[in-house]
Amino acid sequence: MKLSTEAVSGQLAEILAQYLKNNWVDTPASTRAVTATTNMVSDLQLDSFQVMEFMLEVEDHYDVAIDLESLSNIHTILDLAGVVIAAHSE
Amino acid sequence: MSLFEKFTAVKRLRSGLANAGTDPTQVVFDTLNSATEGVVKGRRIILAGTNNYLGLTFNRECIVAGVAALESLGTGTTGSRMANGSYAAHGALEEELADFYQCPNAMVFSTGYAANLGVLTALLGKGDAVLLDSDAHASLYDGCRMSGADIFRFKHNDLQSLERRLVRLKDRASRCLIVVEGMYSVLGDCAPVAEFVALKERFGASLLVDEAHSLGVYGERGCGVAEAQGVLDKVDFIVGTFSKSLGAMGGFCASRHAVLGLFRYVSRPFMFTASPSPAVMATTREALRQLRSRPELKQTLWSNARRLYCGLQNLGFELGPEISPVVAVRCKDRESVLANWNRLLEAGVYVNMMLPPATPAGGSFLRCSASAAHTPEQIDTIIEKFAELQE
Repeated sequence: MKLSTEAVSGQLAEILAQYLKNNWVDTPASTRAVTATTNMVSDLQLDSFQVMEFMLEVEDHYDVAIDLESLSNIHTILDLAGVVIAAHSE
Repeated sequence: MSLFEKFTAVKRLRSGLANAGTDPTQVVFDTLNSATEGVVKGRRIILAGTNNYLGLTFNRECIVAGVAALESLGTGTTGSRMANGSYAAHGALEEELADFYQCPNAMVFSTGYAANLGVLTALLGKGDAVLLDSDAHASLYDGCRMSGADIFRFKHNDLQSLERRLVRLKDRASRCLIVVEGMYSVLGDCAPVAEFVALKERFGASLLVDEAHSLGVYGERGCGVAEAQGVLDKVDFIVGTFSKSLGAMGGFCASRHAVLGLFRYVSRPFMFTASPSPAVMATTREALRQLRSRPELKQTLWSNARRLYCGLQNLGFELGPEISPVVAVRCKDRESVLANWNRLLEAGVYVNMMLPPATPAGGSFLRCSASAAHTPEQIDTIIEKFAELQE
């Protein structure tokens, strides 16, 4: 089944919001609403470890493998949606 | 953007550390009185954050061996083994390590960091896949990255998470390397190595275990966690360091695969760096001999580890998940860990301060490591000083 960018972006925003809640990532920045254009580092101020941990959740949710190297090109939820869709189609 | 602009954040970080008192990353020991006592700014300090698990850094026989090597072979090798040749002690230590791990091959590196870089970059290349425990040490991440292999992380010590990723790799699973540590350095928790072995055998993958913190600590013979769990002969590559239980500096890899003998022709972190000095080889060999012949060192270490862990647990501190020579005390946040670290130093106890993102689950910890050289009285003083943090 082909995934749409819009649908995946929406789901990823929800997964990220849940991740922040479950892991008590509780900074003023992390309480902002997560949207497709949210930048995980500059908007939410996640550190590199938190981004990698969130990625583990995403991999399991979509049953895809995301190479660590891909992370350097992922800044926003929209970027991540592109990577998930590409991995899903492999 | 200036080339130096990226250091603005570093400068801010450094100011934050210095403003709290002593910067934990810049501690200077005026001198060391023993394996467990140093002097900082003229004051005697109990060393509770050194990874000196067997307490051999001031061992008389090790020092005598080091001095003899200095006298007879000089201060350094002045080059790599590929270009300048090996000293007999390099080969002798490799044979002794192979014998210790009961495998045909061992290889010595100049540091533990170089061992991980050297092994991973020799073994892995573009197109290979590596499955890395999410809490693995930076040297393992860096080695994997340098190799050009595709890196996939799995949740720390989570068999199901690893299995899912092996399934996702499909045909590539059989040429993938799983990378874990024996005992993890921040919380002192151990990997389920036996279960990882079962998984890697099911998928035809290979397994590398970094026993840097578990050498001399786990296993009847002190080989590490793989030995303690009865699977030493099933692990493909064991890596480790001389800078913790063996009280020296350097790293190694031991393997049941003959291919390790070829690594020295392709491993750049081995080929393009100076080989370990004669004194380092001599003290390491003597320390390994003592590790093998003095099981009471491990017993004393564990007695001290239990005393420290239980003492801090009884005070109500949140600790790592199991009793181990690494005892990590979780603090509320970055500010409290920095303040408490300074209070401990002022009170005469040196521990490590561990901050995110280099910590599991983004925690902030005061990390202690027990040593066989600690006296029970020193352990009690450490506990007492932690108790004062609660006042």
